[in-house]
Amino acid sequence: MRDEPVTQINVCRECDTAYADVELGRDEVARCRACRAVVARHPHADVDKALAIAIACAILFLIANLTPVLGIEVAGTRTEANIWTAVVSMDNGWITLSAGVLVVTMLLAPLVQVVLVIWLLSFARAERRAPGFAHILALLHVLRPWSMTEVFLLGALVAIVKLSSFLPISTGPGVWALGALTILLAVLGRFEPSAWWELEHRGKA
Amino acid sequence: MALTRAIDLGLMKCRVCGQVAPQDKTAMEVRCGRCHRVVTTRMPASAEKTLAWLITGIILYFPANILPVMHTSTVTGQDDSTIIGGIIEFLRGGAWDIAALIFVASVAVPVTKFIALGLLLWCVRRRSAWARHERARLYKAVEFIGYWSMLDVVVVAITCSLLQLKSLASAEPRLGIVFFCGVVVSTMMAALSFDPRLIWDGPAGAA
Repeated sequence: MRDEPVTQINVCRECDTAYADVELGRDEVARCRACRAVVARHPHADVDKALAIAIACAILFLIANLTPVLGIEVAGTRTEANIWTAVVSMDNGWITLSAGVLVVTMLLAPLVQVVLVIWLLSFARAERRAPGFAHILALLHVLRPWSMTEVFLLGALVAIVKLSSFLPISTGPGVWALGALTILLAVLGRFEPSAWWELEHRGKA
Repeated sequence: MALTRAIDLGLMKCRVCGQVAPQDKTAMEVRCGRCHRVVTTRMPASAEKTLAWLITGIILYFPANILPVMHTSTVTGQDDSTIIGGIIEFLRGGAWDIAALIFVASVAVPVTKFIALGLLLWCVRRRSAWARHERARLYKAVEFIGYWSMLDVVVVAITCSLLQLKSLASAEPRLGIVFFCGVVVSTMMAALSFDPRLIWDGPAGAA
């Protein structure tokens, strides 16, 4: 069965404390008195801004994956590394399990996140509710902790230090794309998720 | 001022979309009107699932540290390195900052997560009112630091894809890295299975 939402009361997600719902101004945040977690934000979804950032993320994601992040050239032999080569290097027997974890956390989770956000916001911009709206937002909620682009960036930096002492290692355009992608994904994360559920009302209008 | 909790008001909050819905003791399950996911007052069997994932993580942590994670062969010889061995190598090479970074990501973070989740579970079991604010913050910290442990897996993967220089230098991953991946996934699952509202259940404390 489905229940009608309770609209006058808001509840802290972290500690279950109940509050009377308050009107928040822009950039205002309501924090829980018991555990200090954020209970509510101003329900403002800046669709154009979020969409612009999401598209920028998609472009950076392509650059990061189509250009080398790191490269080594010794005696005419050149090797390059990016997310995909890192995954492939683990494709060997049981070690493929690690390759699977890398595919999900470094490639699929960020990619699917960005694509779904672009999908949702493109429809929102046209004042329509995207097909699969509720399922997509629920999926984004599940994917979020498994998206680890920033860890790959730090891993690349550690690899530079590790190998530079005995090999001529160079950075490719991919490392800059990864750096920018990390920052923009963090910015994009700030729009989610509370504000986006409000897009639904806009879609029905 | 005494604070009221949703569970006592007959309300519950959807974990996925945050909408508040009334509890319904007669219904088998209540679905959220907004996101259509099942809503419950507390995540079902949260403590048990967290404990199961935590134990899995601790068990996997031993082979992850004992087995080599990478095999390198260079002109100077062959080498099987473990996680700890890699850290010692950085220290010997004078890169103490990188050694510290990998130590934090690969050793300190997983061990801290084991201890923190164990403490959270133990206090929840005793329905303790002790240090609730601090425990809530501890849970947030566990959630936040969790995935940085993947760092060593990434470093090994990048190193193995770069060191394909035939006879000069080559590297390939070893089984230890799979167990280490397992530790990261298990501890993340443990943290995600834990319902932080359990910290605040039980008799009210002095706070």
